[in-house]
Amino acid sequence: MAEKKSLGKEFTKGLVAENPVLRLVLGTCPTLAVSTSVSSAIGMGLAATIVLICSNIVISALRKVIPSKVRIPAYIVVIASFVTIIQLIVKAFVPALDSALGVYLPLIVVNCIILGRAEAFASKNAVLASAVDGLGMGVGFTAALFLMATVREVLGAGTFMVGINDLLSVFSDTTFNGFTIPFLSENPMIIFVLAPGGFFVFGIMIALSNMLAEKKGKKRAELRGCEACPMASTCSMNGSCEEKDKEVSE
Amino acid sequence: MKNIKEILVPAFALFLICLVATALLGGTNELTADKIAQVAEEAAAKARMSVCEGAVDFQSAEINVGDSVYVCYTALDAEGNSIGYAVTTQDKSYGGTIEVMTGFDTEGKITGVEILTISDTPGLGMNAKSENFRNNYLGKTGELTVSKTPTAENEIQAITGATITSDAVTRCVNAATAVIEAAKGGAN
Amino acid sequence: MEMTKELFSVLLTAILTQNFVLAKFLGICPFLGVSKKVKTASGMSLAVIFVMVLATAVTFPINKYLLVKFNLEYLQTIVFILVIAALVQLVEIVLKKYMKSLYNALGIYLPLITTNCAVLGVVLLNIESNYSFATSMVNSLGAGLGFLLAMVMFAGVRERLESCDIPKALQGLPITLIAASLVSVSFLGFTGVVESIFG
Repeated sequence: MAEKKSLGKEFTKGLVAENPVLRLVLGTCPTLAVSTSVSSAIGMGLAATIVLICSNIVISALRKVIPSKVRIPAYIVVIASFVTIIQLIVKAFVPALDSALGVYLPLIVVNCIILGRAEAFASKNAVLASAVDGLGMGVGFTAALFLMATVREVLGAGTFMVGINDLLSVFSDTTFNGFTIPFLSENPMIIFVLAPGGFFVFGIMIALSNMLAEKKGKKRAELRGCEACPMASTCSMNGSCEEKDKEVSE
Repeated sequence: MKNIKEILVPAFALFLICLVATALLGGTNELTADKIAQVAEEAAAKARMSVCEGAVDFQSAEINVGDSVYVCYTALDAEGNSIGYAVTTQDKSYGGTIEVMTGFDTEGKITGVEILTISDTPGLGMNAKSENFRNNYLGKTGELTVSKTPTAENEIQAITGATITSDAVTRCVNAATAVIEAAKGGAN
Repeated sequence: MEMTKELFSVLLTAILTQNFVLAKFLGICPFLGVSKKVKTASGMSLAVIFVMVLATAVTFPINKYLLVKFNLEYLQTIVFILVIAALVQLVEIVLKKYMKSLYNALGIYLPLITTNCAVLGVVLLNIESNYSFATSMVNSLGAGLGFLLAMVMFAGVRERLESCDIPKALQGLPITLIAASLVSVSFLGFTGVVESIFG
């Protein structure tokens, strides 16, 4: 029973308290880039979640075998393999998603969430816990992407979930292809699907999540610099990047 | 001695991981390669069918225009008569390369335009995929230009806020017209 | 002449209209994390330019003469990320040993660059766009210069923000992102510029 409870915790922490996007501020590049439409956001979220779970399982299983000196390159190889496998599968079975995500699909390799979880969690915990951690973080990532994409697609294009049938068609025949919102679709606020809108919506969402966090007496989300950086252990500047800069310039 | 071991063991471990990873990828590639090629072929075939209505078969030929080589598909009806052509051309657009397939009837009139690949902005450039915009091209011949307020016969209504994409699609269609003319010239 | 024109158009496109940070959202982590001061921002960006150009110079032949030749394109992602990681380590070691002053200026940013998606991104995009070697190099240089431009401009904006009275809810990261949004709007102004210059 105790075991079950802690596994539940591993899962839920990724959703809210340690949401990778809104609380840990990781994986910002894909968050901003693919949140122009809900369907590609869901696709990206699913792909990253699968990679995250698989890499967490493998890295956790191999945690005692991988020599610590070469662990970062070893993690990168494991992650890159799963990303490529996903990429090939997506190309074969969901070609529309492949063209929607473009270069951001292979770039899951350098998504800090995945390497970050490998280093911070999977390398220290048992296989099952790591898998659940991966699932929680992945779902948290997908949820944040979904929220952002909803705001951007509805305001910026006046539609919701358009293109979802490309994703659904893998599982079943369906003609459901999202909603068109009257008025907004004739007068979309295009800026929201453009780059500036991405930064703006993300900023507002972080502000809202900070307000909620403060109400609950938790810390605001901040860029943590080196703490959150998966490369911190191999990095020559132990401590803050900015502080080291001061030292050097002196 | 210990020093060498300290280098060799991690190197060997990393080598093993790479080996297993590569084997896995090779296997996945083996399983999906045919399917990926098939998906691409099916998509191209579907696009050809939609730009040349009524075609049942296609015959491909390579056409040289300037320095580039294009594949020109001649559409055949059930009796094997040529009823039109389909050509894929590409150009640079806002978010990268776009690929457009254009269909023509035997007189060189445009019978259909399909956007095969595009990575422009959703809600703007992506509207090039909409039937509304593509229907602009139907029935047109010769060199086309983009305009915000089209009046002449050979002017295409630009997509609001996405002139670059509209231009790119039109350049593709114009290139396809050139290929068809070269193909017909070669046949005569 | 035609060639120079094309290269210039690719360079300007990469710096202005298709800016890696502000239009393609690549390399956001360092953009937000290392942009508090103009000096740090420019040091980081110079290191990025250096690694981008070097990575392109190394991965282009690997792709053309190894991967494509033996039909191994599906290994691109894994090979490139490993090459970049190894390259970054190598450059760091060489700089540390032989060029101490350069190491102090740029080297400290190198480890951060391994997982910078802008570097892997530029390498993958060069191949996806079927660029020639020269065009790839120019595109990488342009992407790096665009990164520098965005970083330095943004660091300037942020230095001013320090002394501003910001509503409590927006303090910290949110106002940084909103400032980034405004900088990004200014880059939208370049849309079409390259096309009108080079027709």
